Amino acid sequence: MPVLRLPKFGKPVKYAYITGRVRAMKTKLIPGEMYPRMMAMDTSEIARYLEETQYKDEIDALSKEYSGVELIEHATFANLAKTFRKLSEVSIDEPSFLILEFLRRWDVWNIKTLLRGKFAGVSDTEIVKYLVPAGELSAEYLDELAKKDSIQDIISAFDGTDYASALAQYDGKNLASVENALDKLYYFRMERAVGGTLSVGGGLLLKFVRREIDIRNLITLFRMNKAGVDAAVIQENIIPGGKLHDELSRMAGQPFGEFLRSLEGYPFWSSISDIATADIDAVSRIEARLKAYLIRYAWALSNYHPLSILPVLGYMVSKETEVANIRKIVRGKEAGLPAELIEEQVVVA
Amino acid sequence: MAIADAGVLYGLLAVGAGLATGLAGIGAGVGEQGIGAAVVGVVAEEPGFLGKGLFLMLLPETLIIFGLAVSLILMFAWTPFASLVAAP
Repeated sequence: MPVLRLPKFGKPVKYAYITGRVRAMKTKLIPGEMYPRMMAMDTSEIARYLEETQYKDEIDALSKEYSGVELIEHATFANLAKTFRKLSEVSIDEPSFLILEFLRRWDVWNIKTLLRGKFAGVSDTEIVKYLVPAGELSAEYLDELAKKDSIQDIISAFDGTDYASALAQYDGKNLASVENALDKLYYFRMERAVGGTLSVGGGLLLKFVRREIDIRNLITLFRMNKAGVDAAVIQENIIPGGKLHDELSRMAGQPFGEFLRSLEGYPFWSSISDIATADIDAVSRIEARLKAYLIRYAWALSNYHPLSILPVLGYMVSKETEVANIRKIVRGKEAGLPAELIEEQVVVA
Repeated sequence: MAIADAGVLYGLLAVGAGLATGLAGIGAGVGEQGIGAAVVGVVAEEPGFLGKGLFLMLLPETLIIFGLAVSLILMFAWTPFASLVAAP
């Protein structure tokens, strides 16, 4: 007998608390016009400025141990982990599930960092500094993993989990194939966890993530097409699951000018059209524009669905970008890069 | 009209008055649940928002006033049957 299924009453209401909260948190993000001013400051001034913002606690706590660039790097990472952990802790039901599903990317990040660290023979205390325990794997568990002696020990610790199949691809020589497999696994798992549900929230998460995959693939295409890499190699590096997957994979290996012409007419074209010319020398500028487009996309979409996972996603991407921007500025200044070069890389939505 | 019928009608009038306030209350409650949750979320981050938040949260409450006004009119002001009920 067919069962009449009514929509669950009051479902968007589950998102009211968390969206209200992230919208308030959004106002505390560093405004775009601050970045040029930060570029004129020296490192200690930037640290002092960050002390006036949401990074105060981390800067205060870590200032005994570190100073200068190190202090800012670790404080921003610690704050990122704390903020994301808070988001998954203060939400319930569907939002909590979707946020955790999204935050698994930090598990992937941490596993990659562990593998890279062990591969390069870095000490475990040094590796731990670059971990961001924002996902499902706790800080304690990651500490334990970092203390293991070899890559094989870390890989065997994941036996029986979903990561095992991706980590099995490690051939002892290079990490690129494992890292690609981990990325693919992340998106595959998200499709599996969310794609099956008929909920509106899950659908919106997938919609955003598909767009994100497209942007990531597009960046890969820009880099590799510019460098004239072989089409087959590019195809291997393209992450499946994007909305424009077929179209984008057809563009792999095209001559750069032709590639640019075929991008015209896509929604992201208007945000890069003025700088995307055949003779562009640095692709990083296009990357920054595309990332900014993704942030604007999340916030624009969240205007149509105010009570949904989208404002939370928008916030998480904005926050991630903010931390990346601060690190770019600080690291760039330390390395003595010219201001214009740093400015190109900073993403302002 | 018989007095008993008038009594039934007056009773129905009272039920209608009750429904007017009651349903308005339920509607306002449904409206407020989301606003209330959102306001608590914002106040958790920014305590200064409490005053504005409370004002926004109480907006749907005005609907109850409409319901209450209809109830009061039904019970005390609009009395086409009052003469019948009062009649011996």
